Amino acid sequence: MGLTDRVRQYRNLPGFLQASLNPWLIKARNNPERLAFVLHRVTGFTVLLYLFLHIIVTNTPARAGWEAWDSLMEAFGAALFNKVGEFIIAGFVIFHGMNGIRLLLTEFFGVCIGKPEKPKPPYIPPSFKACQRRLLYLVFALWPILWAIAGYIIFKG
Amino acid sequence: MAIADLKAATRIPPKLVTIRVKRWSPTKGKVEWREYQVETYRGMTVLEALLKVKAEKDHTLSMRYSCRMGVCGSCGMVINGVPRLACQTQIAEVASESNPVITIEPLYNHPVIRDLATDFNPFFGKHASVKPYLIRKDIEEREGPTGEYILKPEELENIYQFSLCISCGLCYSACPVAASDPEYLGPQALAQALRFIIDPRDEDPNTRIAVVDSEHGCHRCHYAATCSAVCPKAVDPAMAIQMLRSIVFRHRLGFWRKRTSKPAEKPKEWQPKKPMPPEAQTIPGVDLEQMEKEPVIVEVDGIKVEIDYKFYKIR
Amino acid sequence: MARTWTMQFLQYVTAILLIVLLSFHLAERIPWITGISYHESLKSERVADAYSSYGWVLLLLAYAALFHGLNGFRGMLHEWKPRHGRLWDLVFIILFLVFAGIATYTVVGLPPLP
Ligand code: SF4
Ligand code: SF4
Ligand code: FES
Repeated sequence: MGLTDRVRQYRNLPGFLQASLNPWLIKARNNPERLAFVLHRVTGFTVLLYLFLHIIVTNTPARAGWEAWDSLMEAFGAALFNKVGEFIIAGFVIFHGMNGIRLLLTEFFGVCIGKPEKPKPPYIPPSFKACQRRLLYLVFALWPILWAIAGYIIFKG
Repeated sequence: MAIADLKAATRIPPKLVTIRVKRWSPTKGKVEWREYQVETYRGMTVLEALLKVKAEKDHTLSMRYSCRMGVCGSCGMVINGVPRLACQTQIAEVASESNPVITIEPLYNHPVIRDLATDFNPFFGKHASVKPYLIRKDIEEREGPTGEYILKPEELENIYQFSLCISCGLCYSACPVAASDPEYLGPQALAQALRFIIDPRDEDPNTRIAVVDSEHGCHRCHYAATCSAVCPKAVDPAMAIQMLRSIVFRHRLGFWRKRTSKPAEKPKEWQPKKPMPPEAQTIPGVDLEQMEKEPVIVEVDGIKVEIDYKFYKIR
Repeated sequence: MARTWTMQFLQYVTAILLIVLLSFHLAERIPWITGISYHESLKSERVADAYSSYGWVLLLLAYAALFHGLNGFRGMLHEWKPRHGRLWDLVFIILFLVFAGIATYTVVGLPPLP
């Protein structure tokens, strides 16, 4: 047995779940984009699960006829659990959509991320001073408002 | 970290700090936490504290460092949960009188060799895979250049920021994608790919675009921007990746063409000296024509120095 | 999989589509726009009317949403276990086909109102 056989590997990877669910894995200051990334991923995944369910449920008329659809909707409307679920999904869709518009601008069109510049103290990266940051704060500000409106519509019936 | 506490070095750190180090030994194969008490002084950095521990308390503590001044990029480690350069981090910045404990871990996402020394081979391999050097089509010209390649100041402005990268790997250690996908190219390599793709002196963006436009290339980035938040040189790799991605799309759709510069013209041979304008005055006692004919030799402290008339230009 | 940039490009194109279509789809449920309550808007007459007059819009919405969601999920799987890239692409294709099939059947195989 040579020396190399005894040497073990230590990968030191925090892993997928830590990276996707814990916005404070790296305790860097001035980085709300990381929180937005985690929320974007969590909301996106949840909405995808809802989408599967939604496609199956809206298939009811074709599968079992319109009476089944109406009685299903009655049952859904009566259960508070479903209302709460709908409320959560609505809020998630709102965040994912608004943050998605910001990501479209930055990632797809490559705008709102600032321009390269000569770094000067206090060394704030240009993209942190660009308009994407203001858009992000706007998203965080509008989110609770729109979510509350959605809740009003859903719980009022 | 980009936003350093600029005044930290002037503050007095707590007299005694506790350094908690996450240690890993390849022969034992297990992680253990060790604590060391270190006496501090004003202006002490984390690296100095670690070296003091190594000198006085525990000679087996391993780390990597070289320049001690934030230039070589060797001493990256996770200090209190943030990847930072140990030599640039003041004790006064990370420890306070109420909480004099500093937690130090090896950089995340890099394989650990021992204690705080991490293996950068995969990281440098990714950097090399984007071909971080100028490529010219004319290989003969590239190997024996006849003139400089022209780079205008405004074009330099575009790439200057990205060329400040010191390959310290902090961005790679902070990235959430690299934290789960070891094949991800990482912010540093992608930023360097952009730096050469938009460099007008380079003529081969296509191979680089082919490298970054892969399943583990620039499309894996989700713009969490932690890479930019921790970069000690304000390189802003997050911005670079978004610019790179839109360039990839425009290139694939045929909207993007690279502007390249030609080598500058050959410098002209030494021009014969222009005749003096008649109003020009020489220093009294200096005969320029005579100097041109025979060089003036001056002896200074026994060493003979020839004075070249060309340096006596009168404007 | 198709070339990476194509998938990512379609990801953004479907995102733009979704902003338009999903806003429309959600607006169908807002009482101040439709004039009827949220619960009313889910009754079979309203839904059947929607399917027969602009069913293709809803179908397009379903395809775009499925592609966008599943491609995002595929990316997560690639990150999670990069070794099994082929498998994740296959998962993407199968899930897309199955749910796109169900969605198509919803619109195409719609029974008449009783
Ligand atoms: S981009 Fe910044 S953090 Fe990343 S390797 Fe270069 S200098 Fe270090
Ligand atoms: S912006 Fe991209 S490369 Fe930088 S930390 Fe986020 S995911 Fe990683
Ligand atoms: S020792 Fe060179 S960067 Fe810290």
